[in-house]
Amino acid sequence: MEPITIEHLSKKYGEYVAVNDLSLTVERGVCVGYLGPNGAGKTTTIKVLTNLLRASSGKAYLNGVDVIHHPKAALDGVGAVVETPEFYPQLTPDECLSYVGTIRGMSGEAIADRSHAVLEQVKLLEVAGKRTGKFSKGMKQRLAIAQALLHEPSILILDEPTSGLDPRGMVEVREIIKGLIKTDITILMSSHLLYEVQEVCDKVAIIDRGVLQTYDSVANLSAGHDVTVTINTLEPITPPEFRAIKALHDITSVKRTETLALKVTFTGGPEAQFRVLRGILNTGVKVVSYMPLRAAIEDVYLQLVPEGEA
Amino acid sequence: MAPNSVRQIATVAKYELLKYLRGRRLLAIVLLTIIISAIFLIVPPAIGSQYPKDPTQFTVNVLSFLGILSILSATFFGADAIVSEYESKTGYFLFPNPIRKTAIFVGKFIASALVSVGAIALYYVIAVVSVRVIDGSIPANTGLSFAYSLVYLFAILAIAYLFSAIMRSSVYSLVLTFFTFFLILPIIDAVGSVAKFKPWFSITFANGISQYVFDNPYPTDKIFTTAAPGASGVGVQTYSLAQYYPEVRLSLIVMAVYFIVAFVLSIFLAQRREM
Repeated sequence: MEPITIEHLSKKYGEYVAVNDLSLTVERGVCVGYLGPNGAGKTTTIKVLTNLLRASSGKAYLNGVDVIHHPKAALDGVGAVVETPEFYPQLTPDECLSYVGTIRGMSGEAIADRSHAVLEQVKLLEVAGKRTGKFSKGMKQRLAIAQALLHEPSILILDEPTSGLDPRGMVEVREIIKGLIKTDITILMSSHLLYEVQEVCDKVAIIDRGVLQTYDSVANLSAGHDVTVTINTLEPITPPEFRAIKALHDITSVKRTETLALKVTFTGGPEAQFRVLRGILNTGVKVVSYMPLRAAIEDVYLQLVPEGEA
Repeated sequence: MAPNSVRQIATVAKYELLKYLRGRRLLAIVLLTIIISAIFLIVPPAIGSQYPKDPTQFTVNVLSFLGILSILSATFFGADAIVSEYESKTGYFLFPNPIRKTAIFVGKFIASALVSVGAIALYYVIAVVSVRVIDGSIPANTGLSFAYSLVYLFAILAIAYLFSAIMRSSVYSLVLTFFTFFLILPIIDAVGSVAKFKPWFSITFANGISQYVFDNPYPTDKIFTTAAPGASGVGVQTYSLAQYYPEVRLSLIVMAVYFIVAFVLSIFLAQRREM
């Protein structure tokens, strides 16, 4: 069985159906971005997986263990950050990590070693001995990530992990996640930030009104959707260069926006994006920047999630 | 691999105790205990009065504050123990770990019970040492009184946990716990005297055994009849009032039942509660 397996999962609150017959399988070593508008059922799914909510029906397995009936065994190899957790204000980050480490059966030595490593990773080492009562939201989010990584989990479940972080913090957390992807870890990560998901994740699941709309690799979802990039050049583009760009394979339209700027639209995923860039450079145009106007995944999202729901 | 639940309960209790030791509530209870003890010991000589000559009466006087101390302990250490995990979102830190909610509950209860027992024990120690210093003796049944107080403490602590498992707000849970034991049940106990029904089922009434155990012989129920002028000052009208005393065995059973029912029910509710 795959590390995360969800079968026909539903969660109802009276008449309201938060998650409706959801089935999803996350393979080992894969990072899945879990997308959807507010109230789509992302956090509900994650809460069921982390034993914070009871499912109305269906099954969910973590590392092959039924999380609904055997949550203690199922959560053994799992690290999770759900919403922005609060920490006991009387305890320090070191003590918080020691608390969960002991609950997880780690030895004192292992807790000390890993606490140092994860606090350094999330840049909280300097405040390791200070009580969390006066920590900012960003510091708490970093500590939450640290406690999720403490026991070197095989599965990481993250509910909007960059929420509450400043731009630098967001980049740092993304780098941590990217670093983890290189290992064998399996990640399910909900996010509102489509660009973040496209940058970090291998696969994307989009949920809306409790129903899974699509689940595929980022490359497959991006393929077949138009991507628009803005190109800034060092010198004005000559008419022959303009025609040469327009004639390139994959390109559907080229528009001059300013003397030194073009908007190029093409179909395809990251490979097409690379081909277009190489083709433009081959025409002799001096490109100084090449920036997608919006992530391809955004097109998929906007197509699957109707207007006014986010 | 996560350890067995017993070790996890010990871990939860350890960190709960650490939280209490660093929090203000334990400090408040200890200070209150010392201040009240000091009032009983310092005020009589300060106003030129004398301590009661009977050491038992003196002990009963000092221990009269014990009921409020137990209520405050249950309120401070039990009333928001569960609800605060949900309300302040610390549950998002603790619950997604390989630990049963029952283990979290029991660990928390043990920590609450330990600090509450500590506060009650401190008060008894101060009372006993004071009587010993002043009078040179220790009243009989002091140990029994302490044991009965602990039974009461455990029962109201379990009820405080039950409120904490039910309520959505820490403040409501704290207020409900305090006023249930401080106001509502004592009113029911008082009404019993007038309406002539024995409130044997009331936990605050049952707690009386920790005081009456010093009486020798143990008091029995009495009906008083008093006379008062009739309406318009014509004739004499008689009124009767009852003075009920809790029976030791029945009261212990009542408190034990409250403890067991509240404890089991609160575990069940806490386990089913969702974030």
